[in-house]
Amino acid sequence: MKRRLFRSAPSEGTSGLDVGALAPMVDMMTLLLVFLLRTYSTDLAPSPPEGPFALAATGSEDARKGGIELIVSGEAIYVDGQRVASWDHVEGEGVIDPLYSRLLQARPKLRAEVHADGTVPWRQLSRVLATAQAAGVEQIALVGAYRGGM
Amino acid sequence: MRLFRPNAAEEADVRPTLLGVVTLLFLLLFFLMSTTSGQRLGVVDLRLAAPGEAPPLPHSGLVKAVRVALAEDSAALEFEVASTDAAASSTTRELRRIEVPPKEGKLDLVALLAAVDQVHGIDPSQAEAEVVPGPEVSTTTLLAALDVVRGAAASPRFPKVSLR
Repeated sequence: MKRRLFRSAPSEGTSGLDVGALAPMVDMMTLLLVFLLRTYSTDLAPSPPEGPFALAATGSEDARKGGIELIVSGEAIYVDGQRVASWDHVEGEGVIDPLYSRLLQARPKLRAEVHADGTVPWRQLSRVLATAQAAGVEQIALVGAYRGGM
Repeated sequence: MRLFRPNAAEEADVRPTLLGVVTLLFLLLFFLMSTTSGQRLGVVDLRLAAPGEAPPLPHSGLVKAVRVALAEDSAALEFEVASTDAAASSTTRELRRIEVPPKEGKLDLVALLAAVDQVHGIDPSQAEAEVVPGPEVSTTTLLAALDVVRGAAASPRFPKVSLR
């Protein structure tokens, strides 16, 4: 007896792939797309090459506008991916000299975006911000991980 | 004369169209997931007070100045309110202070939000506030407090925040 492996084509238009099953799939795909467009980003969050690093959360939806990329971790300070100072060797108060020298060379320096680890205290962060300001950076922004939902 | 055609005996098959839409959405989904990152970044523009910078001119509304002194686990909201005595035709300024005590060892953001809303309710035209973090305030606490003070884009409270 010959065994049939495939069904014959349905004779009626409503059997097989049903329109009623496709409509929820379109809805679901649309919702997924909207969710991704709302919550995902094409900007990769920069992080230091070493040590723990986690951005603080923020509800700000403002997008990045570019500029000098300052990363402040609990161990060191990085400018555009290059380590310029270690907190162990940063002494005194006020302007951080290696950072100041590095920022003076940066062109253009209209804007700087500071990616600071969530645990970095204000006494350290304020020195970074003050140094950037002293080096002539006109606009300074703090970058966080967006925690908003839909 | 017949203005309308009678209903077609057989409806057009919409399945190929729907399948096309599903395929397009699936490709878009795949493209998005392969080119984006799950961590979206948010930017908070800062205004830093320069050393020795004079305080800004007082606001013309009821609330003259708002200052948020921030500690790691608590905060204090200080604001100057102008009150006018019509009979004496004089205006006096009153400094008020709202304390935000710690809650479970952390900054009580709900209480801070209520305090900020209270001040914002007195004079919604005041858009500036000064935040003064303590030396040990973490960036996490600072950003959370800045979010509360600034408010959302749809419902701003004090969007022009300066750090001192």
